[in-house]
Formats: sequence, C-alpha cells, structure tokens
Amino acid sequence: MIDYSLKKFVQLLITVLGVVTLVFFTLRFIPGDAASAMAGDAISGEALELLREQMGLNTPLIAQYFSYLRGLVTFDFGVTITTQLPVSDLILRAVPVTLSIAVLTILLTVTLAIPLGTLAALMAHRGQSGLDNAITGTAMVLDLMPSFWTALVFLLIFSLTLGWFPASGSVSFDNPMEYLKRIALPVLVLSVTQVATMARITRTAVLEVLSEDYVRTARAMGWSEMRVLFRHALKNAALPIVTVIGLSFGNLLNGTVIVEFIFTLPGIGNLLINGINSRDYQMVQTLIVFYALLFVIINFATDIVYRALDPRVRF
Amino acid sequence: MTFQTDIDAPLLDVRALRTEFGTDSGTVTAVDGVSFAVHAGERVAIVGESGSGKSAMAMSILRLLAYPGRVTGGAVLLNGRDLSALSERQLSAVRGRLVGTVFQDPMSSLDPVMRISKQMIPPIMRALGLSREVARAEAILWLDKVGIPDAEKRLDAFPFEMSGGMRQRVMIAMALSCRPRLLIADEPTTALDVTIQAQIVEVMKKLTAETGTAMMFITHDLGLVARFADKVAVMYAGRIVEFGPVREIFRTPSHPYTQSLLSTIPSAKALRHQRLAQIPGMPPDMKTPPQGCAFRERCAAAIPRCAQQPPELSPRGAGHVAACWQPEGLTGIVRPECEARVRPGSNRALRDRTMVEINRLTKHFSSPRLLSRKPVPVVKAVNGVTLRVQQGETLGIVGESGCGKSTVARLLLGLEKPTSGEIFTDGLAQMVFQDPSASFNPKMRISAIIEEPLVVKRWGDRAARAARVRHLIAQVGLEEAHLNRYPSQLSGGQRQRVAVARALALDPSVMVADEPTSALDVSVRAQIINLLVDLKEDLGIAFVFISHDLLTVRYIADRIAVMYLGEVVEYGPADEVFDRPAHPYTKALIETVPLPDPVTEATRAPKLLQGELPSPLNLPKGCAFASRCPIVTDRCRAEKPVLRHPMKTREAACHYPHAI
Repeated sequence: MIDYSLKKFVQLLITVLGVVTLVFFTLRFIPGDAASAMAGDAISGEALELLREQMGLNTPLIAQYFSYLRGLVTFDFGVTITTQLPVSDLILRAVPVTLSIAVLTILLTVTLAIPLGTLAALMAHRGQSGLDNAITGTAMVLDLMPSFWTALVFLLIFSLTLGWFPASGSVSFDNPMEYLKRIALPVLVLSVTQVATMARITRTAVLEVLSEDYVRTARAMGWSEMRVLFRHALKNAALPIVTVIGLSFGNLLNGTVIVEFIFTLPGIGNLLINGINSRDYQMVQTLIVFYALLFVIINFATDIVYRALDPRVRF
Repeated sequence: MTFQTDIDAPLLDVRALRTEFGTDSGTVTAVDGVSFAVHAGERVAIVGESGSGKSAMAMSILRLLAYPGRVTGGAVLLNGRDLSALSERQLSAVRGRLVGTVFQDPMSSLDPVMRISKQMIPPIMRALGLSREVARAEAILWLDKVGIPDAEKRLDAFPFEMSGGMRQRVMIAMALSCRPRLLIADEPTTALDVTIQAQIVEVMKKLTAETGTAMMFITHDLGLVARFADKVAVMYAGRIVEFGPVREIFRTPSHPYTQSLLSTIPSAKALRHQRLAQIPGMPPDMKTPPQGCAFRERCAAAIPRCAQQPPELSPRGAGHVAACWQPEGLTGIVRPECEARVRPGSNRALRDRTMVEINRLTKHFSSPRLLSRKPVPVVKAVNGVTLRVQQGETLGIVGESGCGKSTVARLLLGLEKPTSGEIFTDGLAQMVFQDPSASFNPKMRISAIIEEPLVVKRWGDRAARAARVRHLIAQVGLEEAHLNRYPSQLSGGQRQRVAVARALALDPSVMVADEPTSALDVSVRAQIINLLVDLKEDLGIAFVFISHDLLTVRYIADRIAVMYLGEVVEYGPADEVFDRPAHPYTKALIETVPLPDPVTEATRAPKLLQGELPSPLNLPKGCAFASRCPIVTDRCRAEKPVLRHPMKTREAACHYPHAI
C-alpha cells in the first residue's frame, strides 16, 4: 500500500511538471507578451523594451523557464500585472470559497445520488420498473440541463421570487450561517447535474453487481437482502462509483467557474475570468497550474481509495 | 444431529414444481411440473443438456432465481416443511444452514474484494452459534478437509490469489462448514480441468459421506454421474423423463432420450471405428411447449399417441420410472439412431506424405516492464515440442489447461511467432475455434462469414464464390436457407458447423481444431465429431484435434501427444497410449476420466493426481512432472528425461517408462 502510494506520488510529480512546462511554453508562444499587455496602447518603443528588460522577458526562454520553476517551488508566483498584488495572496483568499462550494456539492451529491441509484437498481433487479423508470428518467432530464441555465432559473425562483437565499452580496466566513446561505444556491445548482449523473452511474454499477455470482452465493448462504446489499453489492459497486466521483470533481471545477460568475462569488473561477479579461499572464498561468494540481491530486486520491477498496489493484 | 427423521420420509420432497421466466417475447416454462425425492445421505444427479431446466429447478428449490424467473407452482418439502410457503426471512434461515449450495463458476462465485475469512467465518458463527475464534478454527478445519494446503494462512487470502480449483474447494468448505443436511451442487466441476475435477469430486464424495449430507448434483457429464451418484434424474424440456438408481439407468435406460444420450458418448470400450450415435434435431423452444411428448420430434419410436398426450412417469422397475408411452423406449422398436455403419479404416496409402512437421518448437512469453529492475518473468509456454502429422491422419493433443496445447495450435497457424524451432506445413492450415459464437462477427450473415476467407484470398469471382459457399454449407450438413441468417439465429452445433465450413473454404491440407466440441451439448457433440471424422475420410485432410476430453480424443485421433508444461511427455498411436500408457502422467490423466459406466466406476479406485500444474514461470530443473508423480525418484528431480522410444511405436519422456 505504501509502495503503491509512493509510486503514484512520483507519477503525480511528473504529471505536474509536465503541465507546468506545457503551460509556460504555450503562453510564451502565443502572440503578444506580458509587457505589451501591461503597457496597453500607452507605451511603445523604448519604454516597452525597458519594461521587458525589467520583467526579465529579454533573457533566454529557457532561463525564464527555470526562474519560473524556482518561483513555483518557493511559492513565489509573482504579482498581478494589473494590480501589482501578490498572486499567491489573491489565490489563497479565493480558494476557500471555491473549495467549500465543491466539497459541499460532492457531499450533497453522494448522500442523495447513491441511495437513489441503489434504490433504482434494486427495483430494476426485482423487475419493478416503475420507480426505477421514474428515477432514471428524471435523472436523464436533469443531466441534460446546462448549469448556467439552471443557475438563472434557480436565481429567479429561489432568490428573486421566493427570497429564500441572497442572490449576491458580500462573502465572509465570520458568520458561517450567512456564508452557507450565500453559497446554498450555487451548491444546489451544481448538485442537480452531479446528482443526476451519479445516480445513473450508481444504478448501473449496483444493478450489474446484483446479478453477479457472488451475490447469489451470499444469498445462498442465507444472508438477508440488506446484508447482501451493503456487505457485498455496494462494496463492489463502490469501485466504479469512486472513479466517477473523482472524475466529476473535474466537471465540478468547470461548474464553479460558471456559478461564481453568475452569483458573483469571489472564488478562483472569478479570479480566472478576470485574469483572462485583463490579459493578466501571471494570474492566468498560476491559476492553470493550480487547477491542474487540483485535478492531479484528486486523481491521486481516487487511485489510493480505489486501491484500498480493491485488493486486486497491483500496479 | 439434533433431530432424527423417519427413515422412509424423504429429506427433500419436490412436488410438481413449476418455474417460469417472463420475457418480452413470451413466458418460458423452464421447469414444468417436476417431482422427485432425495433421502438423507443420498446423492442424486440431475442430468440434462443446457436449457433442460436443471439449473432453474435447483435454484427454484431455495428461490434463488434471478428476475424474471419465478416459481409459479408446486411444493418443496424439506423435512416435511414446505419451503415454498415460507417468507423470504424464514427461507434465509434455511439457506446455508439446512441447504448448502455450490455453484458452477468458482472464479466468480466468491466476493472478489473480501478475504476468504470474512466470507466463511460469519456464516459458521450464525449457523452453529459459535464465537468468532471457534468459528475461525472450524473454518480452518474445513479448508484443511477440502485439501487446501496451509489452510490457516490461506483463510486470510483474497479469492484472486487462488486458482479456480482452490476457489471451488473454498466454496465446498464454505457450504459444508455450516453442516447442511442437503448440498445442492450446480455443475461444480464443469469449469475445471480434468485432474482438478476428479479431485473436487472425490472431496465432495468423501465429505458428504462423512457428514451424512445428502446431495443434489447437477451435471451434463454422464461419466461423473456414473462415478458419483446413487440415483439419477434425467431432465428434458423442463421435465424429468426418467428417474432411478444409477446402475438401472445405465444398464437398462428406458426413455428414448436417456437411451440416445448414453449412446452418443464415446465410451472407453467401444470400437473406435464405429460411428457415434447422434440425436437428430434440437430441443424444443420452451416459449411454446409442444403438445404431447416434448421429445417426440427427435424420437425414432414416436407413435401418434405421443403427439396428443404427454406421457407421465410410470414404473419400469424397482424405484425406476420413465415418462414414455413405449415401455422399452427405443429398444422395443428400433435400434437407436446408431446405424452401425463401420467407419472405413483410414486410407493408409495417403499416409506417406507428412503434412505438418514441428521441430524443437519453443515459445516463451515475457513482458518487460519499464521502471522495474526485477528480472523479467518468462512464461515458458512451449518447451521444445517435436511432432509430425501425416496426410489423412488425426493427431490428438491432450493436457490440462496451461500445458501449452493451444499455444502449439496458434504457432502452427502462424498466429504467434515461435521463439525458436521450425514449423513446416504442406499447404494451408486452417482453424476451428472452441467457442463458435465468439469467433464470428455477429453482424455478418452466415454466407458472408463462410465467404470471407475466399474474399481475402481473391478466390474466383462473385458467382464462383457463391457457388463455393453453397457447396460448403451442404458439405457440413446445413441447408442453403441458413446462409441468410445471422450467427445468433443458429444453435451452438449449427454455428460450429459453419466454423468448419469456413475453415474448409480454401481447401486446407491441415485443419486445427482447438476444443471444437467443449462448448457444445452432449447430443450435438456427437454430430460435430461425426462430421469431422467424415470430412477427414472424404477429403484426406490432416487433423490436429486439441482437447481435454480424453474419451473424445481417443475416439477421433489416430495418434496422441500428451503435453505437460509445454512439453510432449508421451506420443504414439491412440489405442496404445490409452491402453498401455508409458508415462505416469498419461496414466494419471486416463485414470481421472470418469467412465460412463457405474459398475466399472465402482470398482475403480483412481489414484488421483495430487496438487495442481506448477507455474510455467519457474520450471523445475529435472522432470517437470516430478512434483506430482507417484513414482518419482531423486534422479527425476535432478535429471530431465528426454523423449525416447521405450516401445517401438511410442515415445515417452520418463526415466522409468516400464515401471507403471
């Protein structure tokens, strides 16, 4: 197990290095550079050259790459081009917002989707297709709704019409209840799609396991339906489900960019959009690396959990 | 035992059991009014081909059927208590405790993510009311009893760390450890190798006798029935057509189906040059159960009455019943479909030409891994095999799975490149695979499947190819109407015929058949074997017939090569190898084969091969068979025997070929 984790961790580091390299060179090879972006139309000619000199843009690319790597390792991500604030400060302030939305969504999803999916599978397995069709059908429809659209609809219904949740406003962690209320709608919006997807995956996985021979063996040994379901069926069905939870975290990060924008939440999604709009290289570059890192860490965690659940995984 | 039952009252009494499967295209009656009884300590075999309803019947007893299966009628009395009237909760108390179950596929019947201990100990605790520690000791005891070496350590293993044979032992230990009064075993050895199969059967026989557990044994292997059962129930189309003591059934079968079934299997004593009897036609579609007797369309003794009224079971002798209007079945009316047409002796004149020559062939598989400094494991699948096949001759290759017989076939066809050694074939070699349904593209019509090799080789024009396809389909005994169908619309036997037709398309001089009959039912198996024999005689093709079914190989082959761990350990004429084996492995293999004759079986005390095939990853220095050989000496462990000629016509790789 430790061997395995170590191996996976080395793979993780290699992947991150790959991403960092790719991002760095891609951004350098697209037309325009940080200096001209910073200068805008105002400065040109020698002044621009001077700015480039100051920003170290005239040193060889490979030297820039290594100084950039050094910065990353020492958590020095530079300052934003527009506001001259340290990038790391901005990100650190934004991360809790995004992460709290993502984590709450995952929690809500798991607590809703797994029982629903299991119930649908159980019904399908017994040939009682009514409830199964209802759950699966609803999930299918919800799954097809784009989150920007659900976000607007929820905003209209729950904030503007019913007034249950604030549509915008300041965000602070000092008052947890207020904070929860503020992020409740974004979490709900994101959960709709997530629950739908996950419930369908759970249904498929559990249904497949229920017709496995070892489930029949457990029944033949005289175990009750509940024990068969929890000890054998769900434990085995958990394997594909864990994989999907890992993957859906990626989707979720996409989703947070949209809901943060719509609900004006100061998370990293908004940071990214502002960064792109103001051509803030330093910011965008760091955020891309940050997102990549999140993805890789989640995959790493998925692998570890998977290995813990399934003793057959050996590489 | 806490209770004593009346000696005459049966332990299990099944009455008019009826099971249906509701499908979109209609209700399938899988079990159609089955009644029989199992007494305490008795071993009853349920025999039937696939689709006869034998498994559905067994699963119906404990209501273990998966949707859409449903028990729709009848009663199942266990010790006088009707199980079909029990609630799911009450039935749970019976499952495992009073009735244990062993299933067919050991690879999938144990929970893959749970240690054996977790699957075995809680049922024992529950069934016998023991504490965890005592139950653990009990589990170890049972694992030991079923022959698992180092049981204490293996108890904490995961299923994937064990071989199929070991897992089946675990299943048996698990079932028996709860001290059931009845054990239901659904084809428990079908997925296993011959030698392992014999071991498992011995274990079950010994342990059920020891504990006085009655047994219901579902199988399609008549040899196993003869070795194992006290009584036999023969099922056909959801009904029991004959039931009786095993010796009665084998000596005087009285239902035409039983009679035909018994004559379709190649027996050890039968003449090799006699054609196998075959049952014409196919079992009926159970969506529309036929009026009258379900077997009548395949029965030579059918009379008008059979079409009107289904026969009920009626007495034929002491405890022997059969469901047929003809009191003696086929024997009273006609000789069974076995037209005693003697196979013409093979044409010796053809034999001068060597069609296949294999010299010192080896094939090693290795998978080098990046980022690993450990030595690369090498699987030595084939280790210096030398073989010849003459024109018009059939070479049978036998051995346990993993002995390299299929690799030899793949090498022969050029599907793999040999590591070293030479292969010469005179002309073209073609192959017939084990599973006909998996070796066809399901989206292609039969005509296109047969035509494909012709198209690949740009043979003739379209019209010529179509004519050739029609000729081929007739040659394998199918009709032109079959050409327009898809593989899924044919039965297993028909598909295998198509596979043979496809292999024949390019006029091969060598045909390799890798377990061509293993996936087929007994009655269909005889049809395919007869077809292959006819083709060999008519076309003078050289055949390589690979199988683990020794009786079939003996029947069809002229010469036999016995393989063990990638080597040929014995090679010679089929009859000689069978009657006077020169290698201890050959002898052991032959002894493990259950013969379809209960009288002979009762007198046999087979010396079973112990243990399993060693891993081809690290072969021993001396004789590969040394670890399992009954006559092993120090010389065998140190010095590798080479193939020699202990007898004029035979080769064997053993230091002591005359010792057995």
